[in-house]
Amino acid sequence: MSRNNVRGPTSALTEFLRSSGITPTTVARRAATRNQDEPVAGPSNQAENEPVQDAEEPEPEPESRSGRRRRRNAATSGYASDELDEPETPAKKQKTTAKAKAKAKKAAKKDEDAEDEEEDTYTALSKSILPTRPPIGNLEECAKCQTKFPVTKYTLAANPGPGWLCHKCAKSAGMDPFKKPAPRKRAKPTEKRNVAYFEERRFPSLVSICINIVSKHIDDIEAFGDIGALNMESISKAISRNRSLTSENVHLFYGAENTFLTLYDTTKLSPDAFVTLGHLNPNLTTLRLDFCGTLNDAVLGSWSTSFPSLQSLELLGPFLVRVPAWISFFQSHPQLQSFLITQSPRFDLECIQTLVETSQGSLQRLRLKEVGQMSDAFLEHIAQLSGQLTYLDISDPTESCTEDAIVTLLSVVGSTLAHLDLSGHVELTDQVLHLGIKKNVANLDGLVLSNIPELTDAGVSEFFSTWGCTPLSVLDMSRNPSLATGALDAILNHSGPALRDLNINGWKDVEDSALEKVGKAAFELRKLDWSWCRDVNDFAMKELLDHCKGLQEVKVWGCNKVEGKWVSNGTRTKARVLGVESHTAI
Amino acid sequence: MAEQDTQMQANPEDWIRVVSDDGYSFLIKRKVANMSGTMKSSLDTSSGFSEAETKTYHAHDHRGIIVQKLLEYQAFKSYYVNDATKDEVPVNEFMERIPPEIVLELLLAGDYQEL
Repeated sequence: MSRNNVRGPTSALTEFLRSSGITPTTVARRAATRNQDEPVAGPSNQAENEPVQDAEEPEPEPESRSGRRRRRNAATSGYASDELDEPETPAKKQKTTAKAKAKAKKAAKKDEDAEDEEEDTYTALSKSILPTRPPIGNLEECAKCQTKFPVTKYTLAANPGPGWLCHKCAKSAGMDPFKKPAPRKRAKPTEKRNVAYFEERRFPSLVSICINIVSKHIDDIEAFGDIGALNMESISKAISRNRSLTSENVHLFYGAENTFLTLYDTTKLSPDAFVTLGHLNPNLTTLRLDFCGTLNDAVLGSWSTSFPSLQSLELLGPFLVRVPAWISFFQSHPQLQSFLITQSPRFDLECIQTLVETSQGSLQRLRLKEVGQMSDAFLEHIAQLSGQLTYLDISDPTESCTEDAIVTLLSVVGSTLAHLDLSGHVELTDQVLHLGIKKNVANLDGLVLSNIPELTDAGVSEFFSTWGCTPLSVLDMSRNPSLATGALDAILNHSGPALRDLNINGWKDVEDSALEKVGKAAFELRKLDWSWCRDVNDFAMKELLDHCKGLQEVKVWGCNKVEGKWVSNGTRTKARVLGVESHTAI
Repeated sequence: MAEQDTQMQANPEDWIRVVSDDGYSFLIKRKVANMSGTMKSSLDTSSGFSEAETKTYHAHDHRGIIVQKLLEYQAFKSYYVNDATKDEVPVNEFMERIPPEIVLELLLAGDYQEL
């Protein structure tokens, strides 16, 4: 019978409490110091049957015994929600803190055990902290006004100090047992709806506010005033920059008489929106959609009939479209002049075959950039477009085509090409320059040979020195780290005055002797990227900015020697210089 | 006096003049003008631009009414963006003050001004 040694199976909670040293005693002590009245009963191992020993005041003693009765009454009379019930004696508390412990109690206590288990052990603990109420019906003296009042189950304890308050004093002290707890204030739903438009805690930009207003008034096009006078291109760019183009506000750009349509970010348009696009712009001849990831077979099927005059299609990201859809689209548009797609793993041999067959006489521009299945077999089909191809871009394949295949292709289609992009075909070497391009291509305007690491400096410089071609206006040979001074000199000699757009990003070994010549030799430059050319310094920049009056953009990422001193030197330019290290804000 | 001229400090309480395309002039404080990235960089005294010395910003391509709304937005922003105590910015009130007739022009102007 002694509780000291016998312990039944205990729960994890019990173990935790025991190991942390949390016992009903400590809890009671804590509560007692808070309430400053309750006597701390003896150690937790006290048998419940024993009355509380150190009861000095008459009240606690009957409490302990009647406390048990109180609890039973409390249990049967329902849980008083807004007040905490009387605490147990320590022994009682021990019982209430752990159900498992309660289970180990003697059968004599079974009533209370049952009640304890009925009640929530969470709240049971808190119930046992506060002083036990005297039995209902007793006349007690109010701690405040000293009038006698009968104790009810709603009697509240006096907040500081011992004693109980009559109902009147309790209410005046602010603790009304009948008052329902104040309902939690909810934010008005209307306000919440508006907040959802803007990101939380970020001040909404003017552009996003304007876009919201546009979306609100999208049906009332007349309200926008004279749209024709404004530059729809710029608006389309501004909305796309925010990724705010939705199926609703895209209607701003539709028009039955439009012949060309460019949307720079159609990520948020659903396939249905694309179908609607087809229906609302039936006279389109040129369509360009960037980031059209949601474009699918159904859309292309619908487009087969809704764009009778379409000649030029440019898509970035149509990866969902499957082979049959491409094929039926090509068959419905036999006079495509320009077919430019980027990123499609599904576009396969059959597709290119159909395309070449159906648009045999008309296809002039072809881009199959980042097309996963690109291979030599593709090139054989493209070769059938000899005599008409002006723009060819087969860059960034998963696997490089072989050099022979490309040379063969160029020998067939090279003569008409104005733009050629073979970037990313890493198997190519200098031979492609000599055998493929030099021999066959003479009218080129733009050449992109980025990321072909086998090209050598000597090879490239020899190529440009001996190439009998019209000067290039666009040249991009970035990410070829072995190219250097020789190549740059040769390029400047070949195309210097005609160059508008030059990209030599990554030519780390180019010497400053060549770099300083760029400004003088290529004075028509509009855009220059010579990032990661380590020798670029402020002198080269000054030469460039002084001579190239039409310059718009210069990129100098990774050019550590550039400090921006030309500004204080008096060199003024409208160009944007991007990538100066000292401008980085940390 | 001469030294003061060559070394102007950008006092946020200075008054800046913004001139629109059709000749309207607006006077705003520098701290309000700095809300716009493009205005701030062109009025930056360390850049050596002439606008910085004359404290005048010419808003090319923008009509007077557009410039007025731009500046209104900048004032609105400068007031609320640092006011961390208020958790509800009355953006809707501002939205009501923009007539839809000018919203497209305002969109382009706001994009250009990096607002």
